[in-house]
Amino acid sequence: MLIKRLVAGLVSAALLVQPVAAQVSAPAAPVSGPATTPASVAVEPAYVPQDKMERGLWMQMDDAERELKRSPLVIRDPHLNAYVRSVLCKTVGAGKCAQVRLYLVRTPDFNASMAPNGVMQVWSGLLLRTQNEAQLAAVLGHEYIHYENRHSLKLFRDIKSKSASAAWLAFTGIGLIASFGLLADLSKFSREMEREADMGGVALMAKAGYDTREASKVWQQLREEMDATAAIRLTKSKKDKSGGMFASHPPTAERVAYLSAAAAEQPGDPAGSGAASYAAAMANDWPAFVDDQLKNNDFGSAEYLITSMAKAGWSDRLLYARGELYRRRAGDGDLDKAAGYFSEAIGAGGVLPELWRGRGLALLKLGRSEAGKADLNEYLKRAPGASDKAMIAMMAGGSS
Amino acid sequence: MKKITGIALALALVTVPTGQALAGWKLVSPAKSTAIGKSTFSVTAGEEWNRNTYRPIKKAELWTLDGLGLNELYFVTGLIAGEPLYRELDKKNKPLPKLGKAMQLTDIPDFFESSQRVALNTSLFQLSGTEPVKFAGGDGVRFTYEYAVQGNPMKYKGVAQASLVKGQLYLISFTAPAIHFYDRDRARAEAIMASAKL
Repeated sequence: MLIKRLVAGLVSAALLVQPVAAQVSAPAAPVSGPATTPASVAVEPAYVPQDKMERGLWMQMDDAERELKRSPLVIRDPHLNAYVRSVLCKTVGAGKCAQVRLYLVRTPDFNASMAPNGVMQVWSGLLLRTQNEAQLAAVLGHEYIHYENRHSLKLFRDIKSKSASAAWLAFTGIGLIASFGLLADLSKFSREMEREADMGGVALMAKAGYDTREASKVWQQLREEMDATAAIRLTKSKKDKSGGMFASHPPTAERVAYLSAAAAEQPGDPAGSGAASYAAAMANDWPAFVDDQLKNNDFGSAEYLITSMAKAGWSDRLLYARGELYRRRAGDGDLDKAAGYFSEAIGAGGVLPELWRGRGLALLKLGRSEAGKADLNEYLKRAPGASDKAMIAMMAGGSS
Repeated sequence: MKKITGIALALALVTVPTGQALAGWKLVSPAKSTAIGKSTFSVTAGEEWNRNTYRPIKKAELWTLDGLGLNELYFVTGLIAGEPLYRELDKKNKPLPKLGKAMQLTDIPDFFESSQRVALNTSLFQLSGTEPVKFAGGDGVRFTYEYAVQGNPMKYKGVAQASLVKGQLYLISFTAPAIHFYDRDRARAEAIMASAKL
């Protein structure tokens, strides 16, 4: 247990350094110019490295950014990039957002980060989980405050000075115990920074005219999602623990509480959730992001996300996603439910060929082979170029 | 020590990294039938492959020509319902999909994809070209795939064949960098898949 805790601590320490070290290894896509920054806006100068250590760090970060630029995971869609940038600029102000180089990364987890050199990364798993523009603004504002207040640089210096003494203590034989204290200190330090970034983010939201109540909802939703994951896996919810997918941003009850209190003091614009603009901007990319979630072997989380998105109504895409989720799990009663969701989508005028594929495969397993084969043939008719054409044709009884 | 080897290799397998296994390597004799994991599942290689003496899961073997990051064959012999395709490194937070009781051949590419996505922690995984094939003397499925992982600018390509016999999964996958190695070694890997017997 002791060893386990130590390992966990070390891992989280590594994550804390991430803002410096890993972001160095991650950011990348050059985003098309900020259409929202008129030439007349005075661009504020970015922070310049001050000493030898910082210059060394900057070099590493620049290397990492060069790598990130080439990464196949960077989302190049100019519309989505322009939209996220416009939200950032609205939140932090046009002069400041010009310092930020924004990269959207296709990764199913909830995360965003900002390196001291101005590289901001936002992961697709985050874009899927924020439900409106105000929630996205809360996250972008939070990351920007980390950057503006140079939190990761401070953390790096802190870790550096402490690990030097820990290395010395290791020789004395009490190194193990010393590193516990060190890690506890570190996490307290980083918790303070998180709080500072949260509060700064709310202030930015209020100034930009967003509904600041949405900030605490981001974390509340994550808590509910973690409960959903745990309920299906029959484990304990990790909502009040650090570690795992939300390691650097634990969605604790305390966080939800102080964010709610801050929102009451600085309400912003209570009508400014930006739900419609957000849904419109994400429409093209959501199906792919949802698909990533379906294939991530986390039924509870995927079901939670799909039903959350369906609050505004069930689209054929969402019904398809839910059908696939149940069809793939194929537990007791799942195939019947899957067939039902596919039918509902078809009944509502859905034209996605995969609706027939999904229903056909589900029906075949349910022993309704005639209906199943008919669906698979319909799929082949609607998607003549499908990559699984030969396989499905065989399942459909040889006809194609 | 043995445990560290296991973790290093399991990582190697799914992230296709350096191939510096701490476990040993043995040469596979060409043109001779070689049993996989001491089971009745066997293949015949056309050239000398390096076979790792460490098995990532009990029912699996890893072979390579030049190193696991460059050309990797993964063999699975007789996986049963409830078992994952790879070693689970983080059962609690990142459990791998398990082979399902009611799975059919059409489900195998999805099972493979989902296992890879979780193990590699990537969303950039694309299945393509799924088709029926004769594999190990019975009905099988053949599919190709491509993927990339975070922190690595390389793209990888792969091809796999699999069959289900009495609910047990037999699978061979070949993965290599899209640049140079995949095209160079694919025919050799597919010849091994074609030689599979049960």
